[in-house]
Amino acid sequence: MSTTDCRHARLHIGAAPHELPAEVTRHLAGCTECSRFRDETLALDARLRSALEVPLPRFREQAPRPRRLALAASGVLALLLAGGAWFLNPKPALAGEVADHVMHEAGSWNRQQVLSPAEINAVLQQAGVKFDTSLPVVYAIVCPFRGRHVPHFVVQTANGPMTVMLLAHEKVSARTEFSEHGLSGVLLPAGDGSVALLTHAGAVPEGVAGEIVGAVRW
Amino acid sequence: MKPVSHGTSAGAAFTRLLEMLRPDLLRFACWLARDRSVAEDVVQETMIRAWKSREELKDPAAARPWLFTIVRREHARLYERKRLPLVDIESVEALGDPALATEADAGLLDLRRAIMQLPDEYREPLVLQVLGGFTTAEIASELQLTQAAVLTRLFRARNRLRTIYGLAPAEDVE
Repeated sequence: MSTTDCRHARLHIGAAPHELPAEVTRHLAGCTECSRFRDETLALDARLRSALEVPLPRFREQAPRPRRLALAASGVLALLLAGGAWFLNPKPALAGEVADHVMHEAGSWNRQQVLSPAEINAVLQQAGVKFDTSLPVVYAIVCPFRGRHVPHFVVQTANGPMTVMLLAHEKVSARTEFSEHGLSGVLLPAGDGSVALLTHAGAVPEGVAGEIVGAVRW
Repeated sequence: MKPVSHGTSAGAAFTRLLEMLRPDLLRFACWLARDRSVAEDVVQETMIRAWKSREELKDPAAARPWLFTIVRREHARLYERKRLPLVDIESVEALGDPALATEADAGLLDLRRAIMQLPDEYREPLVLQVLGGFTTAEIASELQLTQAAVLTRLFRARNRLRTIYGLAPAEDVE
């Protein structure tokens, strides 16, 4: 492999590891050093995402300053709250926290690009969890949740994107369905932990839920 | 994906879209401004401007980059209008900035500090890419740079962060 090829490859890997041109992908097939550089960069990127996902409750701990347009803004947001039918459906605390967390990362549902096994493994290794799903994963990040770091994925299903949170330290005794923020969710027992699944597209299909729980190893 | 229409229910749908994306807009604004209060002001103005301009958004799938662009403009406008002082990076931690708040994971805290200390020209494209999901072509368009310039900036941004993550820095690119 020529030095020029490696420099070109590393520029692209270091700049945009999820967006590699075809010639760089071909180069990686024959260059161990650049492949290692790619793996390192993907692992760094998983941490970068975690770092940039600043926990929002901390933003809100301090009282906001008075603002001239606060009334208008609250009016806009009130439209959403007015539709809060979830008040009719009491939820367990864990379900509520999962739904709140997912709402803070709602942009994850816009992801389209399927992640590579290396990207997914970087997240799983950080969390010390195994997740061998056949569903396409489009978002993978390790998130702080209830004092732990948990893998947070979005997978593509026939009904659209679905959030999957692997909660190794949260035991639930039985399948628990919930609705929150317009999302449908379910908490499922999985060995000594649990799995949370959330979707916009109605109830979580049994088959998908079973496939996901079966793919988790703590 | 259904197109955005603008009747009463569409207004509620648009509001819902804004609320869904608000957390990431707030994060983006915080990384731009490096100041929580400024970030909240920027996002508030963004929400109002987006609401007023909602008919410009034809495809809800494009809402995220559209709103990130408004955040950038509102951030620039705020500094222009109020002539806010530039943030002294050495004082950010002392201000108790949320991005540097107590974090159980010390490595993550170090990484946040390092991102915060990146020059604007490196930090902004990196945040657009990693948090905003922008492609390099979209970043180039947003920042009015060539794609080659964006690649270089992103490379150098990550290269500075590699050492924080315990990796050897890569050879720089020209």
